[in-house]
Amino acid sequence: MRLLRRVMAVALVVLCVAVVVVYQSNRPAAAHPNPVVFVPSEGFYRNFSPSVRVTIADVYWLSAIQYYGEHLKSDHRLDSLPAMVKLVTALSPHFTQAYFSGAFAMLDAKRPDVAYGLLKRGYAANPRDWHFPFYLGFFVYACASGSQKDAVAAGWYAKAARLPGAPPFVSRLAAELAAKGNETQTAIDLWTQVYCQGGSYAEQRAVTALDRLLPKDKVAREKAVAGLESTVPHALFAQFVADLFQGYK
Amino acid sequence: MKRVAAVAVNTFRETIRDRILGVIILFALAMIVASLWLASISLGQEDRMIKDFGLVAISLFGLIVAAFVAASLVRKEVERRTVFIIFSKPVSRNEFIWGKFLGLASTMFTVLAGMTVFLFLLAWLVAKSPSGELLLAGLLIYLQLLVVMAMTMLFSTMTSAILASVWGVCVYAAGQLSHNVLSLSRTGHTEVAHALSTVVFYLVPNLSAVDLRAAVVGEGATSWPHLVAWCVYLVAYIVIALMAATWIFRRKEF
Amino acid sequence: MLAVRDLHKTVVVGFRRRKVDILNGVDLEVRDGEVFGLLGPNGAGKTTTLKVVLGLMRPTSGSVELGVDGLGELGYLPENPYFYDYLTGREFLRFCARLFSLDAHECDTRITAILADVGLERAAGVQLRKFSKGMLQRIGIAQALINEPRFVLLDEPMTGLDPIGRVEVKEIIQRLHERGTTVLFNSHILADVAALCTRIAIMRGGRVIWQGAVDDALASDPHGDLESFFMEVVRS
Repeated sequence: MRLLRRVMAVALVVLCVAVVVVYQSNRPAAAHPNPVVFVPSEGFYRNFSPSVRVTIADVYWLSAIQYYGEHLKSDHRLDSLPAMVKLVTALSPHFTQAYFSGAFAMLDAKRPDVAYGLLKRGYAANPRDWHFPFYLGFFVYACASGSQKDAVAAGWYAKAARLPGAPPFVSRLAAELAAKGNETQTAIDLWTQVYCQGGSYAEQRAVTALDRLLPKDKVAREKAVAGLESTVPHALFAQFVADLFQGYK
Repeated sequence: MKRVAAVAVNTFRETIRDRILGVIILFALAMIVASLWLASISLGQEDRMIKDFGLVAISLFGLIVAAFVAASLVRKEVERRTVFIIFSKPVSRNEFIWGKFLGLASTMFTVLAGMTVFLFLLAWLVAKSPSGELLLAGLLIYLQLLVVMAMTMLFSTMTSAILASVWGVCVYAAGQLSHNVLSLSRTGHTEVAHALSTVVFYLVPNLSAVDLRAAVVGEGATSWPHLVAWCVYLVAYIVIALMAATWIFRRKEF
Repeated sequence: MLAVRDLHKTVVVGFRRRKVDILNGVDLEVRDGEVFGLLGPNGAGKTTTLKVVLGLMRPTSGSVELGVDGLGELGYLPENPYFYDYLTGREFLRFCARLFSLDAHECDTRITAILADVGLERAAGVQLRKFSKGMLQRIGIAQALINEPRFVLLDEPMTGLDPIGRVEVKEIIQRLHERGTTVLFNSHILADVAALCTRIAIMRGGRVIWQGAVDDALASDPHGDLESFFMEVVRS
């Protein structure tokens, strides 16, 4: 009798283990992706204690990454991604990576307008970070249309170039786009700044571009170059003039 | 003071050697290490994720120690009648309560310091970004949990250990939502609602005045005067809670 | 050493706040240097009386006069004592000694002597959670004596002890008596009471119903037996 009870107890345990294993092994590898997920408004969390906002932002950041990855691989629908990224950046305004990655993810979501708005918000919250105007210039150049887009992009790149930490190529980009956008004087000013950065490559590029932009007539050129004297350091100005008047008598 | 120190040392020894504490610490360390996994799916934000979720783990597990161990500190002595042995000696109820609190505070400091240093090293070695703000955040978490401990000890003089623990956790949660109570007190539609929420705002400890993780992840630091003022406020709250606990405990009979 | 006069204690119990009288006018006198036995059936109020004497409970009315200068000269062993699981015997005694504000050197000297007295020298470094019932009782007695008290109160000191343990505790009580320490103890083991005590009191229903010398009690019993005398008094 005791042996029978023991056998039945073991059999019961084995049966239960089998149920657990079979159930789990038949679960799908990933949860069924739903492109529309509930994302509370930032106002809801703003009323929450300020002491946990950063953590909530990080949790939603991780959710946004998972959401993005799941849907990029499957239905390419990123309906809730804008709300998620907006929430993360609203709760953590200095979380700069969220703005940048979010903006590029918006391109995948075919929402460049949202990307642009996101970056503008990020720039307002982080005005000393050169990446924001840089990416804004990029988004305008890559996604916008119309005759003014080069000039607008050039404006953003110029702002980026003035911020601490911006690499030298940003000012060259600004200058190129200003010229392309028919903002000739702006282009001349920007190339002059490139020349003043120093380095043979920068000087060479600047001289080549200024040579194209400045008037060909010697007198007109002299007048234009004279107008730049206040923007060029005194020690450099003589060399600057010599480079721009090479081949002129 | 000698008797307070004797009770404190005794409490420290008992709590530090308690195996439950060891299990809690292990779980906390495991959670901190688990934040490494979270960091790996964060798209280059290892630094931020390790620090943020590491501090969350320290807060949560510290809360378990503060609420559950503090609740049983006084209660266990009464239930096991070790209070008979203590109060048959020239020890006052004040000295007992303060000694118990200081003993558990020492234990909590040891536990939290260990976890914070571990997190600091993790952030340094894995994310290559050691941060002094991390150590400060650990210290501020410790102060918050001292408040929870003091409140839990107060509740334990009035009710069972389990209830006192639950109330201790509720105090922590309510303290984190103190900001909301403030909003409520200002937007109450009736005088009664306004008065009630104002009373609650002053009764519940304000544990949300400073965002401990903000400075750590680069969201901006709190000014030193504000920090110092908050610390002084928390210490004052602890003193009030413990004085209330000793007042109630003095009236107890065993 | 101890004079208790007309001691009353009422407690409030239950949801309906019902009043229960635990002590109904206890009169008790313990003289200096004697070994006094406090006897009575369960629920008679013996432990409550001790608690009021020690200040663990406040009397509803009546008075307690102690012939010692505060709790620093008292020693107490509660019934079925629990101790701190993770402390060793030595650490526990050091803790108790520190509560009397004894300095470190004095602590160590007394602890070593006390551990030898109660036969626990070898177990001094073992955590209390590993102690047997008898060892716990002995460490309990040790903590009651750590301050070399003038008046020792022991609540059921022989509980849980084997015959050897009981003999050792009896020897400790006798040594205390020889040193002039006043001892008051509760016990249900009347043979031990008869052997050790000079005077006894019998309690029932929260009051003392008989108090006097053990010899007088034995003389007034036809069998000369304390147990039958006790039964006679309690049932009458």
